[in-house]
Amino acid sequence: MDQRELMTLQNYLQEYGQQAEIFVQQLQMLENGRMEAHAAIEALEGMLTSEDGTVLLQIGGGASVRAKIVEPEKVLLAIGSEVIVERTNKDAVEFLQERIMEMEASQKKVAETLDRLRAQMNEINKRIESGYQQAMAAGQDLG
Amino acid sequence: MFGGLREKLKAARDRLGSSIQAAAAKAEIPEKATPASAEPGQKPVQEPVQGSPASAPALSAPSFTQKIKTLIVDRELIVSEKDVDEALSELEMTLLESDVALPATDAIIGSVEKNLVGKHRKIGESVDDLVVHALKAALLDVLGNGFDLREYITKHDRPVKILFTGVNGTGKTTTVAKIGDWLKKQGFTVVIGAGDTYRAGAIEQIGVHAERLGIRVIQHQEGADPSAVLFDAVEYAKSHKIDVVLADTAGRFHNKANLMSQLEKIKRVMKPDLVVYVDEAVAGNDAVTRAFEFDRTVGADAVVLTKADMDSRGGAAISIAHTIGKPLMFLGVGQAYDDIIPFEPAKVVDELLEGGP
Repeated sequence: MDQRELMTLQNYLQEYGQQAEIFVQQLQMLENGRMEAHAAIEALEGMLTSEDGTVLLQIGGGASVRAKIVEPEKVLLAIGSEVIVERTNKDAVEFLQERIMEMEASQKKVAETLDRLRAQMNEINKRIESGYQQAMAAGQDLG
Repeated sequence: MFGGLREKLKAARDRLGSSIQAAAAKAEIPEKATPASAEPGQKPVQEPVQGSPASAPALSAPSFTQKIKTLIVDRELIVSEKDVDEALSELEMTLLESDVALPATDAIIGSVEKNLVGKHRKIGESVDDLVVHALKAALLDVLGNGFDLREYITKHDRPVKILFTGVNGTGKTTTVAKIGDWLKKQGFTVVIGAGDTYRAGAIEQIGVHAERLGIRVIQHQEGADPSAVLFDAVEYAKSHKIDVVLADTAGRFHNKANLMSQLEKIKRVMKPDLVVYVDEAVAGNDAVTRAFEFDRTVGADAVVLTKADMDSRGGAAISIAHTIGKPLMFLGVGQAYDDIIPFEPAKVVDELLEGGP
């Protein structure tokens, strides 16, 4: 394997690395969305069981205030396409559960693609390594 | 691809079907009752037969015309708005939840309603056929005709210059390589202009792709003026009689004025025949909004959506052509070079309504 081939493999590795990075970011975004939906379900269910309808409302910066929910049965829900509709608490929870399932399915697909990419990267790494070893044995200058 | 939307459409289709079936059942029961009491829009139409006396004796034998009328007219159902109102609302929610943009959703609902309501339908006719045809027509309406790149190139002076634009990280450079490979397989000669001189490693990235595919790349140093690179790519194509120039550019957001004016300059210098906007299908409605903004600021003639294989909702693919009025050209459906498919609306609709007629 000559130096040019090694360079090409390095470039392939870099290209795969960049792609993998994008998929890792996507996985993270999906995970954040999933966790957020779980938290929303917990809050919606909590609203119904809270005795006087008081909940802790996070207002950012780590600050929370006690807030009384006027209508815990009615939820304004962004369903997609920037459209917000009013749903009952139960329907909103169902909707969020469905979304969680969708996100989990997407996560599975992205993770599979990422695994494939990583396997290809490992393969390239092995080839680069053996290329270097061959070159070292032959006393080539790789600088 | 778009598995979630397919399932949801199946549910909406069943719901529409059962609503119509319920209306048909209601229409069949009072058929033998007084036609005058028929509820408008839901009951069989009973027009007086021309020439027959209105006060004909009830027991007289039915004439031939009356028999025909019974077979054809009396066995029909007029679908009323009320019959499908709820099912259409559900369909509307289904589409919105799948990130289909509001204008596209409105258009689909309007078209389905127009295709179903007020039409005479034979009671014996398969309700599912009826609904699937209405949905197919509605989806085809919003999806437009697609964009036949092969035909476009064949009919235009060479080199055909295609400029790729879009936001960062959506797979623009890989898309340029995939389209280059597709064009080569279609028998065209291709040169790529490495116009993304901004992102570190972008020139090497396109270089790696091009080397694998056996496509010539015109490139300058990192940080060079992209207009100059792409001008050189066009000049190279002219002097070597190359059919197509694929011009890669750096990803940018439409609200970054300086980068958008750079794109304006590129357009002035290389005078592209086509400006193709690239975004990812998984971005859903965001992709539609961004495509709209790009079209408004630098123009777009067609759209490519990447990562469609990971998109279960299909919202962007359904709405983008209708919302920005520009056709969808290709869908990226995987990692390999041949994982790009020309967008054919009829095929996509058939896939979405799988199991239909």
